[in-house]
Formats: sequence, C-alpha cells, structure tokens
Amino acid sequence: MKPEAVLVPPAPESVRSTLAARTAAVEAILRRRWPKLRGAALAAVGGFGRAELFPHSDIDLLLIAASDEEISRLKEPWSEFLQSLWDLGLRPSYAVHTAAECAADHDGNLELTISLLDRRFLLGDPAVFAALDHRFEAFLAKRRAAIARRLIETTESRHAKFQNTIYHLEPDLKNTPGALRDLQTVCWLNRLHPQDQAPRLAAPFEMLASLRASLHEMAGRDRNILHFEAQEALRSNPAALMRDYYRQARIVERALARAIEAVPPKETALLGRFYEWRSRLSTAEYTVQRDRVWMRNPAAGDFGVFEFVARHRLRLASATIERLAGAAPDARWEDWKRLLSLPHPAAGLRAMQQAGILAPLIPEWRFIDCLVVRDFYHRYTVDEHSIVAIASLESIADRRFAALFSEIPDPHRLRFALLLHDIGKGSGHDHVEASRRIAREILLRLGAPDEDRSTIEFLIAHHLDLSAVMTSRDLRDLATARAVAARVQTIERLKQLTLLTYADISAVNPEAMTPWRLEQLWQVYVLTSAELTSQLYSDRIHAAEADPALASFLEGLPVRYLRTHTHPEIQAHFDLARQLESRPAAIEIAQHEEIYRLTLLARDQPGLFASVSGAIAAFGLNIVRAEAFSNARGIVVDVFTFSDPHRALELNPSESDRLRRTVRRVVEGKETVERLLLGRPKPLRSGRLKPSVNLNDAASERATLIEIAAEDRPGLLYDLARALSAAGCNIEVVLIDTEAHRAHDVFYVTRDGRKLDPATAASIRQCLLEAAL
Amino acid sequence: MKKIEAVIQPHKLEDVKEALKNIGIDGMTVSEVRGHGRQKGHKEIYRGMEYQVDLLPKIKIELVIAEARAEEAIRTILASARTGKIGDGKIFVFDVAEAIRIRNEDRGEAAL
Repeated sequence: MKPEAVLVPPAPESVRSTLAARTAAVEAILRRRWPKLRGAALAAVGGFGRAELFPHSDIDLLLIAASDEEISRLKEPWSEFLQSLWDLGLRPSYAVHTAAECAADHDGNLELTISLLDRRFLLGDPAVFAALDHRFEAFLAKRRAAIARRLIETTESRHAKFQNTIYHLEPDLKNTPGALRDLQTVCWLNRLHPQDQAPRLAAPFEMLASLRASLHEMAGRDRNILHFEAQEALRSNPAALMRDYYRQARIVERALARAIEAVPPKETALLGRFYEWRSRLSTAEYTVQRDRVWMRNPAAGDFGVFEFVARHRLRLASATIERLAGAAPDARWEDWKRLLSLPHPAAGLRAMQQAGILAPLIPEWRFIDCLVVRDFYHRYTVDEHSIVAIASLESIADRRFAALFSEIPDPHRLRFALLLHDIGKGSGHDHVEASRRIAREILLRLGAPDEDRSTIEFLIAHHLDLSAVMTSRDLRDLATARAVAARVQTIERLKQLTLLTYADISAVNPEAMTPWRLEQLWQVYVLTSAELTSQLYSDRIHAAEADPALASFLEGLPVRYLRTHTHPEIQAHFDLARQLESRPAAIEIAQHEEIYRLTLLARDQPGLFASVSGAIAAFGLNIVRAEAFSNARGIVVDVFTFSDPHRALELNPSESDRLRRTVRRVVEGKETVERLLLGRPKPLRSGRLKPSVNLNDAASERATLIEIAAEDRPGLLYDLARALSAAGCNIEVVLIDTEAHRAHDVFYVTRDGRKLDPATAASIRQCLLEAAL
Repeated sequence: MKKIEAVIQPHKLEDVKEALKNIGIDGMTVSEVRGHGRQKGHKEIYRGMEYQVDLLPKIKIELVIAEARAEEAIRTILASARTGKIGDGKIFVFDVAEAIRIRNEDRGEAAL
C-alpha cells in the first residue's frame, strides 16, 4: 500500500531513498527477531508503512492475530519480540489487533484507520495479512466518505491549534499547517476520494522531509520544531531557508484545499440546510458552495471576487485560486477603499495572498512576503502579522475596544495603515520611517486623496508610540497625556491609533494581548482623550488666515472646530455666515444616506440651542450628534445630525422645507418650542440607564464642563438644554453623541461670563438629573 | 540569602533595572501583574459614565541575593522606584532556605 505511488517518482539521491534505506535496515533487524508463529503476521503502518522512516522516529508496527483467541496465545512471544527491539535501542510503537477490529469504526481512534491506509506486509503468515487486507478494503469502500470527513475535522482542529496559518517563524515540521502531516493528509484524502489530477508534492516532500531528517539527526531524538538555532545551523542564510520553506508549505496548503474540496459534504439535514443557506449567497457571477467561491465567468484580473469574499467571509475554491493566480487586476484607491470598508477585509486580503496577487498589486509587498524578522515575541512572518492584525479588529472581545471600533466612521484608513505598518521591515533601516515613506509612495500611486493619505501616514509613523507610552511613561502624570495629545491632535486620530496599537499587539502572537497590556492601553486612551476633550474645547482659535473675512469668522471658535471639520465644510459654514448680513439665520439641511444634517448659523441669543433642538425633536426626528460653537463676534455654528425614524422627511419632500422654515421662525422668535411640542406624546421610558451628571471645573479655564450620560430618547437634548438655559447658563460648546441607547452629552457652560459657582453647580446638577429622566 | 520582591509602577521598571545593574545586580525575574494595595483602584470617567478600575497594572520584580547585599539592593530599588505619589508599590523581603542551580547542582550563594 503506497499512496505516494501516485506522486511523481523521486529523484535519485533524494531524501526519500535515504529514508527507504533506513526502513530497509530496520526491516532486516525485524526479520531476525520475529518469532515464527502460526496465525500471526507483522505489518508496517504509518511512516514505516510508507517506507519513510526518519532517524529517531517511532517504528509503527501492527501485530495481527487471526482471532481473539490467538491473541492470548501470542501475547508472550510477542512481548519478548518487542522487548528485544527496545533493547536494541529501537522505538517500536505498536498495536495488536485482529482483522475484524481493523475493519471497524473506532470512535475517537481515527489514527488506527488512517495508519492502516499505509499498511505494508512485513513478516509472518501472508494469509492473515491477506484476510485483513480484504476486510479493510471492504470496510473502506463502505465508509470512505465518513472517514474522509473525520480526517478533515481532525485536520481542521489541528490547524486551529496553530492559528490556521502556515507562516510560523518556528514551524513544527510535522504538525504546522502546510507541513508533513498535511502533505500526508493530501495523499490519504486522494486515496479515499481520488481527484482528476494527482497532487504533485515531490518538491515539498523533499524539502520538508530533509529538514525533518536533519533536525532529528541534530537533536538525537524526534524533535520537530524548526527553532531559530536549528535554522541557523542548517543554512548560512536562515531567512532564505524560511522563504523556501513557506513557498513549499503554500504548495501543500493548496493541495490540501483541493483534496478537501473533492470530498462530498456531509448530508445531515441540519448541516445540509446550513450549506444551502450559505450557497444562497451565490450570484450571477459567483457560485458559493461550502463557504468556497467559484467564478462562473472566469476572468483573470477580477477584483470583485475579493470584495465578494470580504463581504461574506468566504474562501476561494482552489480552482478559483488557480484561475486568478498571479494576474493582477487593475486596482485603484477606490477599489481598495471599497474592499477595506467591508465587514471581513482580512478574508479578502488572505484570498489575495493565496492567489498571489498582493505583490503584483502592491509591488512593495515583496519586501515583506514571507519575511522573517526574529525577536522574542513575533510568531508569524511580517506579511502574515499584518493580515492577522486586520483580522483581530473583526472580532474584538473587549467591550470597550469593540465600542471604540464601532465609532470609527472610515475604517478603511485604519485597515490600510495596518496592512502597510511594517512594510519597511525588510529595508534594514528604522522600519517606522521606512514604512511611512513606502506607504506614501504606494498611496500616491494608487491615487488616494490627501485626507486618506495623511491619516494613513500619520498612523504608520506613530504606530509604536502608544506601546512606548504604555510601558515607559507614568500614565497618571498629566504631562504624559498632554504629550500624547499634542502628538495625535484629534480624538479621531487617537481612536484610530489606539485601535491600531490594539491590533498590532494582538497580532504578535495569540497570548500577546494580556489583560495587563489591555488595561495599560485603555488608560493611555482614556487619559489622552480626556486631555484632548478639555483642551480642544477651551483653547480658542486666533486665526491668521489670508482672507480677512474668513479670519474674522474663525476668530474665537474653539480649536476643536478646526480639528473636526474639513476645509470644504469650513468654507460652507463661512458662506452661510455671509448670508447673515441680510437675514437673522442661515440654515442648510443635507442628507447623507439615512442620516440628515442641519447646519445653522445665527447670532447667539439665550436659549437658541435649546429651541432649535426642540424644533427638530418636534418633527419626530432623533438627534444623534450635535455640536455648537460660537466665535468672537457672537456668531454660533450649530450642527445637528439626526435620524428620521418615522421616515417623515423621506416620504414627504415638502417636510424638509417646513423644517427649515420652522427653525427659522424659532430663531426669529416667531414660534415657540412649547407650542410646537404641544400634543406630542412624551415617550415611554424604559429607565434601564440611570442618568449621571458630572461637573468638572478644572477642565477648562473659563467654562464649567458638564458631562451627562443618560438613556437616549426623542427630545432629551431639548430638555437638557432648556434646563441649562432656564438656570441662566450660556452654552458655549456642545458635543452630543449617541451610542445605541445611550446619549453622551458634553456642555461647556458659563454664567455671566464666568464658571459656575458651587451653589449654582449643585442646583443645576439636580435640574439636569431630573431633565434627563 | 534573601529574596526581594518589589511591586512597582510599570514605567519605573527601566530605572530600577538600570540602578540595579549599576550596583552589579543583573539577574531578576520580571512579571506583569495586576492588583491594588491601599490605592484601591480609582474611579474613572469615560464618556460621562463612571468606571471602577479595581486592578491596576503593576510590575513585579523578584530577585534572590546574598544576605550581605540585600540592604544595598533594597535601598537601590527604593531610590529608583519612588515618585512620592500613592501607588509607588511595596518591597517584600523573605529568607531563602536554599538555592540550587539545576544545570550543575551548585548550592547556596554559588547558585545565585
């Protein structure tokens, strides 16, 4: 029984002949020691059965008895035989069975069945072996599909132990995905379910087997982990050795995928339905079966297939990989942006990696393709580390970081930064700066807009900063938060950098993100975020713009305004501000998918913010974000972002105009919110979240910061703002944010131009707690 | 022989290591630990909500040293780990009955 007979014949002097020679030598010893007994036979199984005996490896033997009764008779002579092998220094690994036992299912002992696939008659009664041969083949014919599926299951659980990647820096030559056990599994599966084309695995076998043989020789025992020391001892250029290794392991990985696809799926009702459900993802262009994608209209250079994979977290079928191999589609920045905005971009990138098109798409990827950079922590090659980092953001276990990720509006920047954050590692220089420079060239070539490029460059250039702060700075020292805040400048960047650091550490190895590090990173984020919030609100702009009119508009707005608005937005606000020369309020309503934004510029007046938020609530609209700023000339910029839960604006085109008119009338004092809200039912309160109000006097030099967290409901903002106005407070800056059912509102307020005195603060706190209910 | 266990602020690790190295002490075990003493965690406000932070990240250094040098090592750690604020940590000193080097079975101070 030689499954490798289907492979191409080995070259002379190959490792295979060396292993065969060792096999023959051991067989000669066995022949001399084997007791000649009736009704008994000796078979070689496993590696020994394949005539692939590695130095210091176990010798897999099967002792076959004709029947159960024979076993008791044979027990003694057989143990003498085995004892003599031990005494010779051999390591027999044996099993005693009858033909009947071999031809049966053994739950939990798939190994016996699998090892019998490689059985080979050695000594004893040929009739006993022939009986086993016959019964086992009959058993196999009946059960081949079930055996193949169990073999696939055990293979998958073995792969999971190695995080499903071949790119380990110190691979186990037997068990790592893409190594010898996988290579054997291909042969076994091919024997159970032969494919049209026999897998060609001679080259990977040659490489993996000779490495393993040398490793065993060097260690003097069956050690399979290709440690850094062993890599150095085996080759003067260990990096080149490992690149060769990964190349061969990829061939095995692909052959295994093909062999697995050849096995028909299990037909149990439940699983069948599940497969069918997933196959409903099939489109006119792609067929999905068992989570794998086939192309109906094969066209090389198709980028869409990777988007499809990234949308549904699928895999490419091996036929698809072969079809796509090496043919780079023409991908521009817009294509990357689409791919990286999908829910499972790591699956898409992995598919690209497998099809070998990442390097043709981004030629610089070759610098880190299979690149080994040794240190004490990293477990994967640089390219794999980058993709694992992106994957780690798709399943964040920690609630706080998961919430943080959901707040990132454009995750494609963060993900592209992760893809390239270590691309300079092969350069031999400081990899942070090299990575940034290379990423810049790539982004310019792809045609990424400046906004995307500057964020990605920033993230790469600072990707080690937070790690450094975590371990080497006193987090409780205000100077630490201040220094980080000065570097990141905006909350948006801080969030992205925090998540990038989270992903980078998580992708070093599965245990790297300890609760300790997680806590440290969170502290860095929270403290810096607090610092940024207070700083950006209270620091005012002293503009030095070329356009004096624009400078006068910007004068006195909080720094945060500049940091959170793009130039086109600021220009639009400025244009609205000019309208104020002829009218008391300038209003603009814009729709972006399901979210609307109302921008209001007006002269400040008491209660303005409260009135406008009340007017919006009166239309049944739900405010999810709001910002209010005022400049030195008393012009306020209020931006309300709201959703339309009852589709009032969407279904009634005139409603938008009515909203605009109503807001104008409210600003002009021709309409009161009380009248607008008359007759609107107060919503039911679930009361799941107790409101909390925090007043902070130290955050800003001239205003008191009030932070309110409460259960969100329509009209909440109006109630809070009205409570503040009623207490005679002036709202200087507002940031309203909603996260699921929770509203988080920050107000910077003054009274008579000063911070609140303690007595007022206490009474306002009480008013707000009541208003928030 | 004495065993010195010091729980310190994470950012002080480099300073302490450097200071110990300067007096000729290189060998130590360092672990990342979480816990609290009298500092008992603190309340933290994030996005308007209070969070109780119970266990603070700390670094634990362990070293075993000849009795004659113990006081010097302790003073070095004290000087290099102190910021004067709450949460600076603690040092514990134990008597060590025996030390054995596994490789060659050296015993006592020879094994340190």
